[in-house]
Amino acid sequence: MSIRRETPGGQPPLEGALAERGLVVKVESRAGLAVLIADAATVARLGDVELRRTALALAREHGFSHVAIELRSDTGGLPRIDAPVSRD
Amino acid sequence: MSLTAADRERSLVDWLRARRRVAIGFSGGVDSAYLAVVARRALGVDDVLAVIGRSASYPAEQWATAREVAAGFDVTVVELDTDELNDPRYAANPSNRCYFCKTELWSRLVPLAQARGFATTIDGTNADDLSDYRPGAQAAREHGVESPLAELGFTKVDIRERSHALGIPTWSQPSSPCLSSRIPYGTSVTPQRLGQVEQAERALRALGITDDLRVRYHDDLARIELRAEALTYWLAPERFDELRDAVTAAGFARVALDLRGFRSGSLNVLHGVTTA
Repeated sequence: MSIRRETPGGQPPLEGALAERGLVVKVESRAGLAVLIADAATVARLGDVELRRTALALAREHGFSHVAIELRSDTGGLPRIDAPVSRD
Repeated sequence: MSLTAADRERSLVDWLRARRRVAIGFSGGVDSAYLAVVARRALGVDDVLAVIGRSASYPAEQWATAREVAAGFDVTVVELDTDELNDPRYAANPSNRCYFCKTELWSRLVPLAQARGFATTIDGTNADDLSDYRPGAQAAREHGVESPLAELGFTKVDIRERSHALGIPTWSQPSSPCLSSRIPYGTSVTPQRLGQVEQAERALRALGITDDLRVRYHDDLARIELRAEALTYWLAPERFDELRDAVTAAGFARVALDLRGFRSGSLNVLHGVTTA
């Protein structure tokens, strides 16, 4: 299975669209599945039905049939995927 | 005038009596449990044989339910081992994987039934199943297996209603397809992966989840699907840790919760086999 950020460098389209709605996450793309990676507070915010619907609709607009939020053990900071994709 | 579930059941009894003796592919799921009980009541104990095919893709809990139903309703049971994982066409996990599994099942079950004097073999396919992507149905047809519930128009709702009326404990049981359905097409099916999924789902059930539940395998990541109405409850900070810990204990490095919730055939949608 290929796993990638949505686009190399810059803010991927779905991440940007979600951020515009106040949902700050990283998006890991696995074919049609978008895995959202966020801190614990953001995970908890997705308990709101309307926010989930918004996330699902935006993901669908960006070509994802499935969206899941990662349940992480570390509640602080964002994961390694947040690191720059390439370095000099 | 549309038929009620009770009307359909009367037709089913007539259908069964016309065959006199039937062997049933019996998983202990909602459909085959209902079929076995109605057949037992219509034909008597000597003329019904429920056959359980056991393999690594068949959940242990499902087997226990099958035995419980059979014991509770005095249905004669025979078990046979199937080994679909030993078929490389199945293990490679193509989108028609179910065809190879059912071919393995029926190629063993039908001769076993015939050797015991059961000329008719039936399964629990229902009318709703006919609109879904079910490559296993072709294998059933090729082996002469009949599907009276589908033929007589029973929906899942009908079957649950009549199961409740007959006191069959599976009436409210979630649908329970084989464990391989949790593994995306193209990702090989192995006993180790099936074991991981089964262990993770068992751990989640132990948290009190009784509704529809799937743990979908995505290599290092497990994607949990729960009933949509349950998502708000489980996304509370004090609770999602429980989900994660239950699933990581089964050997998954990462755990994610699907934001849409459970959907039957979810991986068919992901791979474009069916639409959402």
